[in-house]
Amino acid sequence: MIEITLAHYLALATILFCIGLIGVLRRKNLLLLFMATEIMLNSVNIGFAAIGHYYGDLSGQMFAFFVIAIAASEVAVGLGLLIVWYKRTGSIDLDSLSSMRG
Amino acid sequence: MLEPIVVTLEELNLITLVPMCIAIFGALLIICIDLVKERLDKSFYLMITLLFLAVDFVAVLASAGLFEQVGSVRGFFDVMFIDGLAILGQLIIVGASMLFIPLALTSKRFHEYNYPEYFGMFLFMVGGFQFMVATDNLILIFVGLETASLALYTLIALHNRDKSFEAAIKYFTMGALGAALFSFGAMLLYAVSGSIEIAHIAAVVKADEYANIEILLVGVVMLLAALGLKVSLVPFHTWLPDVYEGSSAALAGYMSIVPKIAAFVVAMRLFEFLIHSGVVWLEVILYAVVVLTMTAANLWALVQSDVKRMLAYSSISHAGFVMAAILIATTQANSALFIYWILFSFTNLGAFTMLWVSRQKDLLPGQSSDHPYDKFSGMIRTMPVAAVVMGLFMLSLAGMPPFAMFWGKLYMISAAVNAEYVILALIMAINSAIAAYYYLKLIVYMFMKEPHYEGMQQYYMTNSSGALKTIIGFAAFATVFIFLALNPIMEFVTALVQKSGF
Repeated sequence: MIEITLAHYLALATILFCIGLIGVLRRKNLLLLFMATEIMLNSVNIGFAAIGHYYGDLSGQMFAFFVIAIAASEVAVGLGLLIVWYKRTGSIDLDSLSSMRG
Repeated sequence: MLEPIVVTLEELNLITLVPMCIAIFGALLIICIDLVKERLDKSFYLMITLLFLAVDFVAVLASAGLFEQVGSVRGFFDVMFIDGLAILGQLIIVGASMLFIPLALTSKRFHEYNYPEYFGMFLFMVGGFQFMVATDNLILIFVGLETASLALYTLIALHNRDKSFEAAIKYFTMGALGAALFSFGAMLLYAVSGSIEIAHIAAVVKADEYANIEILLVGVVMLLAALGLKVSLVPFHTWLPDVYEGSSAALAGYMSIVPKIAAFVVAMRLFEFLIHSGVVWLEVILYAVVVLTMTAANLWALVQSDVKRMLAYSSISHAGFVMAAILIATTQANSALFIYWILFSFTNLGAFTMLWVSRQKDLLPGQSSDHPYDKFSGMIRTMPVAAVVMGLFMLSLAGMPPFAMFWGKLYMISAAVNAEYVILALIMAINSAIAAYYYLKLIVYMFMKEPHYEGMQQYYMTNSSGALKTIIGFAAFATVFIFLALNPIMEFVTALVQKSGF
């Protein structure tokens, strides 16, 4: 059995963050794109909780709570915008956002 | 058994919270009034907003007085941190908000101003930006940034055109990415130092003699990317022209001033301790970003066919210019940043208000955007006063003496020369020269060309009202005559910056 240390948690957080980042860069569907940003924010939560435990310091966990709250409010605003966009254009594809160029 | 925690009021130091609380209270009041009595006129809500912003401004001035007596103040369990940067940042944020919100008093009716929530959210946004500058705690910076940004996305979308929704979604996507990058960067700094207060992080990192410099650098680069998304540094600027085009000119002008100064203050707090301790890598990265932002944005601005998009790229270039102050990191450069931004806000207020008064309901025939250059051609024949005023703002943005921006550029370049960044100063000067070209292009259109459309005079002032003309007059007056007041402003800003140790 290997013991799980801080490094493992940080590696997990980094891997999740990279998965999210790739999702943001690659996804064409806006809903999945927003989901990818949520993955990124949640990877940060893992990291903060682990580091906070490692230092025996509460501010990391506090930060994680604030990140959760902010992620929730971001979803509220983002989905609101998406619903309006879907009603207007009938699409939530990234390519539908292309009336402005230059 | 846990000891009960006793907190005295003096310890909380509530004075540090007063300015933001005023803004937030105003927002709640507006929403409550709407619950009790619906369908009040927008001018009523506007006056409430202005009133609270004015009180807010006075409260910030009061904390400036306190700062002069006792130095920087911490409050609320050391989370709030009022120093010279916080005061200057808040003064610019609240002052610019007071100048921009009366742009709601248009003669045409617009969708967003029918909702009292617009004004409520505006005040929440101001409160968010104030929190962002008045702390050195990464949690509160993050929360303030997101409060303000989420309100701003909604304000953009409330303009209720297809383009404004598109702009809001684009801005939201970039903002969400920025939030993730900011929190990951903060996590890495926390991993290195075990603290989320910038002052502590600086102290711990210094005591370790930069043992974990790699992790630190990755974290700082992520924070730079997150803040770069907010202040639109190249290569994180891609959203900005579209967002400016999609939102109303009044809000676009606001976005070119207020969110950026808040992000600049945070950047100053975050990066300067590293630069002072001689982290060469960060200097190289910042140098590259600054030069790239100034130059590339100028080149893009040259090829735009829409005045609003041109102003958007020009504001990216100005942001790069100002970011140089954070690279130089002397007291003079940091003061120059604030002075530049004060002068820039007057000039941009004028330029964007000129676009706002000429906003017509439908697009011109054969055009795909609201303010193409063609619309302004021959303006001197039909609306001479408006053409001269618009030309004045363009000359100021181009940095012609004796208008406002000339002094800002002069002060910034002299700060660069004094800190022995001669090449940077040269690049800044060359970029000012390139920028003059596209501002003069609009002047050429207005003064030298024949009118492109028949009966254009009805369009130039279609949206104007007494209030908007007053604001344009004020902006023009400030742009021309501010050099008379430059010395006191400079002394005030320099004293505040120096006293907070930047």
